[in-house]
Amino acid sequence: MIRYVIRRILMLIGIVFIISVGSFYLIHLLPGNITTIIEGPGASPANQAKLYKLLGLDRPIYEQYFVWLGNVLHGNLGTSFISQESVASTIRAALPIDLEMIFISQILAFATAIPMAMRSARKPDGIVDRIFGAGSFTLLSVPPFIVIILLVLFISIKLGIPHTGVSTYVSFSSDWIANLESMALPSITLAIGSFVVYFRVLRSDLIATLQEEFITMARSKGISQRRIMWRHAFRPSSVALLGAAGVNIGGLLAGGFVVQFLLAIPGLGYTLIAAINQNDYLLVQGIVFVVSVGVVLINFIFDFIINIVDPRISRE
Amino acid sequence: MSNAPHELLVVDDLSTTFTTMGGPLPAVANVSFTLARNETIGIVGESGSGKTVLSRTIMGLQPRSNVTVTGSVLLNGNQMVGASEAAKRALWGKEVAMVFQDPMTSLNPVMRVGKQIDESLRVRLGMNKHDAKARAIELFELVGIPSPAQRYMAYPGQLSGGMRQRVVIAIALAGSPNLLMADEPTTGLDVTIQAQILNLLDDLKERLEMSVVLVTHDLGVVATRTSRIVVMYAGRIVESGSTRDVFNHHRMPYTRALLDSSPKVSNASHTRLVTIPGRPPNLLKLTAGCSFAPRCTFATDKCHTERPELQAADEPEHAFACWNPLPTNTERGS
Ligand SMILES: Nc1ncnc2c1ncn2[C@@H]1O[C@H](COP(=O)(O)OP(=O)(O)O)[C@@H](O)[C@H]1O
Ligand code: SF4
Ligand SMILES: [Mg+2]
Repeated sequence: MIRYVIRRILMLIGIVFIISVGSFYLIHLLPGNITTIIEGPGASPANQAKLYKLLGLDRPIYEQYFVWLGNVLHGNLGTSFISQESVASTIRAALPIDLEMIFISQILAFATAIPMAMRSARKPDGIVDRIFGAGSFTLLSVPPFIVIILLVLFISIKLGIPHTGVSTYVSFSSDWIANLESMALPSITLAIGSFVVYFRVLRSDLIATLQEEFITMARSKGISQRRIMWRHAFRPSSVALLGAAGVNIGGLLAGGFVVQFLLAIPGLGYTLIAAINQNDYLLVQGIVFVVSVGVVLINFIFDFIINIVDPRISRE
Repeated sequence: MSNAPHELLVVDDLSTTFTTMGGPLPAVANVSFTLARNETIGIVGESGSGKTVLSRTIMGLQPRSNVTVTGSVLLNGNQMVGASEAAKRALWGKEVAMVFQDPMTSLNPVMRVGKQIDESLRVRLGMNKHDAKARAIELFELVGIPSPAQRYMAYPGQLSGGMRQRVVIAIALAGSPNLLMADEPTTGLDVTIQAQILNLLDDLKERLEMSVVLVTHDLGVVATRTSRIVVMYAGRIVESGSTRDVFNHHRMPYTRALLDSSPKVSNASHTRLVTIPGRPPNLLKLTAGCSFAPRCTFATDKCHTERPELQAADEPEHAFACWNPLPTNTERGS
């Protein structure tokens, strides 16, 4: 186990290194004069000179990289020439919104998928299983933007819970009710996609596990159905579920812009699109770097959890 | 009443039929036998003859769907056929417990073995954590697990097959059951370990005053360990009687074929086995006749059209189902 973790951490460091090179190089990939690209066509020569020096463009590229990396390691992702704000602080303001959205959506998804998968797996092809199966299949085939429109119709208009956008967005700490109201729509939208995946993966693995001899043996001990499900069937059935969750949560972090853009939630995805529109390349670079590292970290964490859940894996 | 108080188990006309895509599959048909307290009975037959289905049906452990069970199983006075899951659950572990065939698959791979026995002790017997652990280690010791306190923390994957089977036996014993169903408890194990486990079961049966149903495909296993034997073929009892009568006075050709295919105690273990020619019948396509007829060297026309019912032999409690039984007076020379 320890050797496994060490190997994984070394791999993680390697991947983050590659990401950092990629993010750094992103700006150099753009055609034309970098200073013009970064500051926009209307940049003053004075600013251009300042940037030229700041980026150390006169120095060899690997040196530029290490200077940049050194700054990143100190939490400094540069200052946007568009907004004159620190990229790191812009990201720090937006990231919690993504995290909260993902967190709520995952709680919702797991809280519905797990009990429903258990209920379905108890009697595969039974009436309940068929209803759940048809329901999840329907959800799977509806595209997210339709889901959002329907949700706006039902939650915001029918139920009268207002959906607030960028201009009125409030943080959880300042007004949690208003915050949750604005989080409801995007979280539910993300939760639906996650739910469908989790429900299907867990259901089929539970059905397979429940056929196993050790389940019959557990039954023969005279313990309750519920206990068999939670204590015996759930854990060995959750490896694929956790794998799917790792990939899915990474995807939500990287792909949150669709929902955020449609619902005007000022998270990282929304900020990224705005930055692209404004040619704010330093901000784009910062977000790409942070999101990529985030995705890798999430996968690393889930890998680790899977190993704890199923000790057979790291032993092999 | 027909079931005298000393009979722990009374199986009467028990049939188990699976509903399959190919039609009804009679895995167990019209099986009857009884088992006294502190007695060991052997259930013998080739692979596929219905031994596992029979032992699970007796326990009421058959799958919950696509199965029809008829007849009666009285376990210490409790009717198991048609009983609710809750009613059976109350008996499982305490009245009857099972040792499964393959210790590689019958233990939960992601749960420490200590937890798995702890479950029986705490959840079923209501012991507290401390007492349960002490008792678990005691049980591990009883079944011959060395350094039981360390093994308590092990995952099944860290134990050998023989050790795992000892764990399974310890778990089965946790609730002090009156009846132990041992379904091919040694089939997956090395020959030397096989003998150890069987001797352990014998010893435990004496010490803990249990009755045992010992299921096996190997007559050699039951020769010295059972008082009576039931021989199964295609889901039916084809011969039953005292162990001595089944070995020495069997009348059914299938029993003889089984004996010939069983490794003799006296023979060296590398002796090549005579296997019974042909294959067991497809249970979905049973004919009206004797199900052994296609493989039987004594078969006559009648065998193919009419099924022989169990009939009494000369010896008490000895019965066989065959139209052309082997002669009685000649002791089988070997
Ligand atoms: N759940 C089931 N559904 C359908 N057929 C089954 C099921 N379980 C067992 N059988 C069939 O019942 C027959 C007897 O099987 P089994 O009791 O396992 O034999 P044995 O234990 O003697 O080797 C086999 O033909 C098997 O295919
Ligand atoms: S009834 Fe006929 S076929 Fe069946 S075992 Fe006896 S002799 Fe063989
Ligand atoms: Mg079997």
